[in-house]
Amino acid sequence: MTIRNTLRDHGQRYRPRMACLKKVEKLLLEMQDPKTGVKSQPQRLVITTIPHAITGEDIIAWLADRFQVDTQEARNFVSMLVALGYIYPLQDHRRLVIKPDASLYRFQTPYFWPTQQWPVEDTDYAIYLAKRNIRKRGILELHEQEHYNRLHKWMNHKWDFVVMQAKEQYRAAKERKKPDRVVFECQERAYWVVHRPPPGTVSAMDYGLDRLTDPNADEVTGESLCDLLVKYCSTYKSHDPFLSNCLPSNPWLTDDATYWSLNMPSVEIPTKMRVERWTFSFAELLSDPRGRDDFRLFLKKEFSGENLAFWEGCEDLKWGEAATMREKAEHIYKTFLARGAPRWINIDGKTMEVTVKGLKHPHRYVLDPAQTHIYMLMKKDSYGRYQKSPVFKDTVKKAICPEEHRYSDAQLQQNAKKRRPSLSPIILRQMEQEQRAKMAANVDITQVMSKLSKQGKEAHVFSSGRDQKQS
Amino acid sequence: MGKDECKTMLDALNKVTACYRHLVIALGSTSDSQNLREELKRTRKKAQELAVANRTKLTSLLKDKSISKDDRAEYERLWVLFSSSMELLEVDMKRSLEIGQDFPLKVPTRHLIQTGMTGSTTTVAARAMSVQNMKYEADSNIDTADLRDLQCEISQVSQMMEEMEMKVQVAPWAVEAKQEAGAELKSNMSVGNSSVGVISICEEEPKEEDGGGNRDAGFASICAVLVFFVIVTVAVVLGYLVINMS
Repeated sequence: MTIRNTLRDHGQRYRPRMACLKKVEKLLLEMQDPKTGVKSQPQRLVITTIPHAITGEDIIAWLADRFQVDTQEARNFVSMLVALGYIYPLQDHRRLVIKPDASLYRFQTPYFWPTQQWPVEDTDYAIYLAKRNIRKRGILELHEQEHYNRLHKWMNHKWDFVVMQAKEQYRAAKERKKPDRVVFECQERAYWVVHRPPPGTVSAMDYGLDRLTDPNADEVTGESLCDLLVKYCSTYKSHDPFLSNCLPSNPWLTDDATYWSLNMPSVEIPTKMRVERWTFSFAELLSDPRGRDDFRLFLKKEFSGENLAFWEGCEDLKWGEAATMREKAEHIYKTFLARGAPRWINIDGKTMEVTVKGLKHPHRYVLDPAQTHIYMLMKKDSYGRYQKSPVFKDTVKKAICPEEHRYSDAQLQQNAKKRRPSLSPIILRQMEQEQRAKMAANVDITQVMSKLSKQGKEAHVFSSGRDQKQS
Repeated sequence: MGKDECKTMLDALNKVTACYRHLVIALGSTSDSQNLREELKRTRKKAQELAVANRTKLTSLLKDKSISKDDRAEYERLWVLFSSSMELLEVDMKRSLEIGQDFPLKVPTRHLIQTGMTGSTTTVAARAMSVQNMKYEADSNIDTADLRDLQCEISQVSQMMEEMEMKVQVAPWAVEAKQEAGAELKSNMSVGNSSVGVISICEEEPKEEDGGGNRDAGFASICAVLVFFVIVTVAVVLGYLVINMS
């Protein structure tokens, strides 16, 4: 539908907050005080007299007095006020500068103040140009004419409205008395000089890029972004080596690599801090190889190790080489998804249907729905039980908490001399692959037997062309 | 016929929207007053009535499947007019709420912005309400009491617009306007209720902007002087004749 103001703008074009605007508004109110505010004088035109004109020097003097700053600073400040459109010049209206002499200015009405929340709409500009066209009997300035033609082209569907509204606003304006009418015209003109500056001038309303989130929107109910950030920081604060001591010592500071050797991926006994991290979230547990081993052990005892194995297989498929993808997908299907598979996983019918259909033309993410389902299953079900299980409690008891190293300067120098490079990543990867091969060969037979017995009791119906290949 | 009825109603809504905008522009300035708040309230209510009437009429017309293609195009054009009016009205209402909250009237030290506008907006409101004279009968706490009503009305209008979006499937960009560029100049709009010369003179501060304006001002003043002299001459001649007669 038509693009309206930001409050229903789904294009996510949000203007950044201009914090200065609210502060300026407060200041402007102070300026209005009849006793302590800026002195105003009437502006004499030929036939009419319009009150509330202020001279440039008066404003600058008032501001210098109010903030106790020198005149140059006050002048800079007032020039910002003029550039933003809170005060507009009465003579030489095209140049939004402050002249520290008797040249006259006037305050802008609140409707035309710059706001962060209300973007300046092109529709309004089109209406203004149409009104100006009427008043100037067709003679617009060059840039205004260009804008007019451009708006007529792209806003063509609204053009009837623009013309109608321009005429009506013009007629409504005529209802007011002459001085007010003059003031209104000046106000509107000043507003558009600020927001559609003539070419060659710079607009003070240039704010750079739009934001992705609406700064005016209320935060999501429940936990706001701030709360989540605070929670994250307070949870991980003691685990961050920058913010707190890492035990036994930070290898980068003391050149002692004990910390790394204690936290190797497949170490026998993990450290207490590491084990504590596993309790923060399921993702932490799975992303830590030692934690995953522990979890695997627990699942073995519960005879639901196939879930984790399936999840690992899916990860392997997602991040593996494209050449081996097809075989991997087939292997996973045969092992976990097919009817009568040795390690059949329990996913709901719809997901199974979608997955099997997708496996006809396998790609990297074909097992995503199933993987997500299994992940959530493990998270909601097994993870909780794992944390209460004897396996985990055992691990916690056995976890070590190394003593903090206290090195003297001499010892630190010694350590620096004894620096050696750590294991090559190639070797690490080889070790990883060996381990994985060992695990694949050691599929637990007891699990397989129990699964086969369960299959007889369940009826699962799904169609698959691949079934023909199965025995 | 449905179309003409629609058009008159839309014209009325358009007029009220334009007047409402004028009134909102005066909010917070020195022409703000109790009366202005009441005018805003009444104009707003009238706008809402017109909006609802327009909406029912237009939706019933658009829902009718048996209309010809041209008719349908015309109704879609009217629909775009209506929805654009409503957008303007909604924004103005929200702004009037904001400004109304920032500038309460019944506080001991009230600082309204000295914008130079000091006259009243009675005539504008009278134009909106299509009456000759406005009668003011609101209580003194209208500036705060009205704001609550305003909030309700804003939510009503927002809701109405969302419903409109959902129910009526009109593609606004597909509508072709009937007016070409510069159409506003072709109507018989008089540029001012006084002569061209006076308006140009009143725009004195933009003196440097218009060579044309200056020319007009000079031309008009020469005209006025000439006319003056002609009248004086005629008076002298008549006087002379009268004296001669007697």
